[in-house]
Amino acid sequence: MNVMKRLRQDWVLYAMLFLPLLYFFIFHLIPLYGMKLAFQDYRIIGDPVWVGWKHFKTLFSSPAFASVLQNTIIISLMKIIFVFPIPIALSLFINEVRSSKYRKYVQSVLYLPHFLSWVVIAGIWISLLNPATGGVNQIASFFQLPSVDYMTSKEHIRWVLVFSEIWRSAGWDSIIYLAAIMKISPGLYEAAKIDGATRLQQMRFITMPHLYSTVVTVFILNLGFFMNAGFDQVFNFMNASVISVVDILDTYVYRIGIGNGQFAYATAASLFKGVIGIVLILGTHFISKRISGKGVW
Amino acid sequence: MVLVPLLNLLALSFTEPGKAHLMGGLDIIPKGFSTLNYELLFANPLFTGSILNSVWITVAGTALNLALTSMAAYVLARNEFAGKKFVLFFLIVIMVFEPGMIPEYLLIKDIGLMNTLTSLILYKAVNVYYLFILMRFFQDIPEEILEASRIDGAGHFRMYSRIMMPLSKPGLATLGLFYGVYHWNEYFRATLYISEPAKWPLQVVLRQFVVRKDNTSLIGSQNMFDSSIHFDFAALQAGTIIIAIVPLLVLYPFILKYYAKGALEGGVKD
Repeated sequence: MNVMKRLRQDWVLYAMLFLPLLYFFIFHLIPLYGMKLAFQDYRIIGDPVWVGWKHFKTLFSSPAFASVLQNTIIISLMKIIFVFPIPIALSLFINEVRSSKYRKYVQSVLYLPHFLSWVVIAGIWISLLNPATGGVNQIASFFQLPSVDYMTSKEHIRWVLVFSEIWRSAGWDSIIYLAAIMKISPGLYEAAKIDGATRLQQMRFITMPHLYSTVVTVFILNLGFFMNAGFDQVFNFMNASVISVVDILDTYVYRIGIGNGQFAYATAASLFKGVIGIVLILGTHFISKRISGKGVW
Repeated sequence: MVLVPLLNLLALSFTEPGKAHLMGGLDIIPKGFSTLNYELLFANPLFTGSILNSVWITVAGTALNLALTSMAAYVLARNEFAGKKFVLFFLIVIMVFEPGMIPEYLLIKDIGLMNTLTSLILYKAVNVYYLFILMRFFQDIPEEILEASRIDGAGHFRMYSRIMMPLSKPGLATLGLFYGVYHWNEYFRATLYISEPAKWPLQVVLRQFVVRKDNTSLIGSQNMFDSSIHFDFAALQAGTIIIAIVPLLVLYPFILKYYAKGALEGGVKD
């Protein structure tokens, strides 16, 4: 009775929810269910055949997969070590900019690359790293250093990924830290000034300790995306000369799946990645909830 | 460090073709002045077509995004909505469990959306994360306002369209920019789903031309590389990149105003 009454009253609500839910059903649940292909053989005509763990066995014994996994982990680790701290430092720097006009200008310039697609960024970096005319090699030649074709150099390409990631996201990612800094009570700085603390000491003993919990939260949240290693970036920076050192899980799935048409095998690889991803996301969600009370959602 | 590479490309794209090889990577002033690169680009049907494709995907996609997201957000922001807990749980599951690229590709194939711009408009019609942001925004609107119009006999759809939507303009602007930037920059699904060059969005043409250094698709569509026209390949690429950035630059003041604020309120991820 109660339910019927509510339904009569609120049927509009359900009607409004219909299209969004239909969308989720078609574009999320169906492909999610489609992940079962990892345990099947794909047939162009007729139904797929169940093959159990076959693709996973092939996967785990494949040297190509081992190297892809290794690349994913190395690139992700490099980004955590070398990219993660930059926005924190940047927020401290921006906070020290006194003139609010200049600060606004710095911020709007630094945020800009975040809004460019990785296609555009790859285009910019290919031009920037051009061995003959690129800005980087021109600076190098000024200091009498030899010119390097970074985009096709196996030794350098991962560093290109690190630096282009910094270029794109350091500015934007500093926003969250700046917000935390803004919340610090000005009274603390006043008191420190009276005690004769220098600006550097204020930064060291007031600002930095207050950033700690934000840093931890962001770090944990980033861990949830560890296995991604930045697909869009790698996909656009990759070329035949460096594929062996930058091929990551997602680019591998793309190549064997879409490129070679090995749909089932590629789905197995992406399911493997997905499972690790879910463990990491759920893990980080609960850890972060315990530490800071703020989860992933 | 951020601006010099951009200014360099801008300068290069306006440099006289005969002098383009003299442009170093640090020069930000064009050598001579010529709009030849842009004339060539805008005379190319593949290129102009791709801009139209991108505009259509961005406009139609964002409109659909906002319509579906706001309707769902309205319903979920209503406390009296029975089944709210269940739907929220469902959405979190959707957010955590992402299907892989292959099943999505096969789905698009199965429902006959291959080689259609519709596939790019539909496949990300609602972003759960943005839905939650808008839901919170709607929840902040005082209940009394809705209560008043309910007494006047307004139904839910009327309250949604006449009260919630007008009151939530800043929230919708933020979300519109989130979605709009996303659609404009989308290239990967387009490379997956669309193989006919005439239906490519700008980002895919850009990728073919600049990243993969494949100019045959551009030549194939028109004899733009007429030997009588002297031009510089790198400068032409620079022009393409600049054109892809211009719409973002035009919207940039709004992006700074709404997007940055929205991203902060929404938390870390975007």
